[in-house]
Amino acid sequence: MSATLMVDALDVPTRAALRRLVITLADSKRLMGIRYSDWLLGAPTIETGIAASSMAQDEWGHARLLYAMLKDFGEDPVAVEHERPDEDYASVDPLDAQFPDWAAVVAGMVVVDGALSVALEGFAGGRFEPARTRVPKMLAEEEFHRSLAVAWYRRLSQASEEARSLLRAATQSMLPPLLTWLGAADEAAERMVAEGVTRPGAELVAAFRTAVGPLLSEAQVDVDAFEPAGEWDPRRGRGPGHPDGEALERARGDRNRMLFVE
Amino acid sequence: MAVVLPLATRTAGAMEALPKRVTSHMSGGRDLWSPPLEAAPDDPEEAVWSALGEVLDPEIPVSLVELGLVYGVAVRDGRVEVRLTYTATACPCMEFIREDVADRLGQESWVREVRLVEVWDPPWTTDRITPDGRARLRRLGVGA
Repeated sequence: MSATLMVDALDVPTRAALRRLVITLADSKRLMGIRYSDWLLGAPTIETGIAASSMAQDEWGHARLLYAMLKDFGEDPVAVEHERPDEDYASVDPLDAQFPDWAAVVAGMVVVDGALSVALEGFAGGRFEPARTRVPKMLAEEEFHRSLAVAWYRRLSQASEEARSLLRAATQSMLPPLLTWLGAADEAAERMVAEGVTRPGAELVAAFRTAVGPLLSEAQVDVDAFEPAGEWDPRRGRGPGHPDGEALERARGDRNRMLFVE
Repeated sequence: MAVVLPLATRTAGAMEALPKRVTSHMSGGRDLWSPPLEAAPDDPEEAVWSALGEVLDPEIPVSLVELGLVYGVAVRDGRVEVRLTYTATACPCMEFIREDVADRLGQESWVREVRLVEVWDPPWTTDRITPDGRARLRRLGVGA
C-alpha cells in the first residue's frame, strides 16, 4: 500500500471524484436507515421491528461518519446532510422508494446493504485515511445486519410460493442498478481506482456476486444471470432519479429545522 | 474528529450544584466522583486515567475505562487530550459522554483544556472490556 492519500494534495477532478464517492456512500447509508425505519412498526414480529430500529440507528451512524469525511474538503457536513435539494442526493437507486412489503425489505437487507458493504470494504482497503480508520467499525456493525438478512432470506425462500415470488421479484428488480453502481467505470470511478482509493468496479461486482450468490440461489435467483442496466448520472454516480420527497424531508430534517442546534 | 470541550462547570462547581442525596447515579456517575485534587499531580496522565475511571457509561454503571472506550491520554501544560471511542457508530449517549468527560476533568484546577479526539480504529468490541469491567457487568447480570 502506498502512502496515505491527502485531500489537499489532489487535483480538482480527483477531489470531485472522491467527494462523489463519499456522498454516494453517505447518502445511501442515510436512505438505507430511513428504509429500515419505515418498518419499525410494520415488521412481521416485534423482535424484527426492534432489529429494524437498531439497523436504522447503525445506518445513520455510518452516514454521519461518512458525511464527516467532507470536513477534509473544507465543507460543513451538517450543511451537506441537511441543506441539499432533492436532485443532489446520490443514494443508490433501489432506495428511491419505500420497500413495498417485507419481502422487499429482506431483499434490500441482502442485496442493497450487501452491495454497500462490498463498496465499503473496497473503500476501507484503499489509501484514503479516514476510510481506513472509520469504515472497519461500520463493517463490524454490518455483520449483525448480514446475520439477520441471511436468516430472513432463508426463511422466505422456504415459505409459501407467494412469499418466494415476492422475494424473487424484489431481488431481481434491485440487482441491475446495483451492479451498474458497483461496477461503475466512468472517469470519476477510474480516478478513484488509479489513486488507490478503492478497487476496480469489476472486482467489486465479482466480490458482490460471490458474497450474495449462494444465498440468492436459495430463492432460485441466479445472480450471474444479471447484468448492469439503467441510465447513469456521472455527476452523482447513480441513475437519473432521486429518493421520494417524503424520505428526503426526513433525511434533511425539514420539519425540525427550527430546532437544529448543531 | 477532535472536539475541544468547554469546561463550563469548573468554576461553577458542578458538585456543589448537585442535590445532597440521590437515589441512583446521575449522568456519568457524578454523584460518586472524587473531589478535585488539591494540587497538580506528579503524574498528570495517571490522574486523568483515574478521573476517567470514575466516569460511568450513561446507560450502565461501568466506567468508560473499564469498558475499554479510552484509547489514550496525553497531558501537556494542563491541556488534556483524550482519545475515545464509542461502542457503536450511532451511540445515542455520545453527547452525555462528552459532557461527562469534560465535567469530570474540568473539576480539576490544573486542567486548562480538554480536547476529545474521537477515534474508530481499532473498532471497539467487547474484547476491550477490562477484567474489572467484565466482573462488574456480571454482577449486574450482563454477560460480556
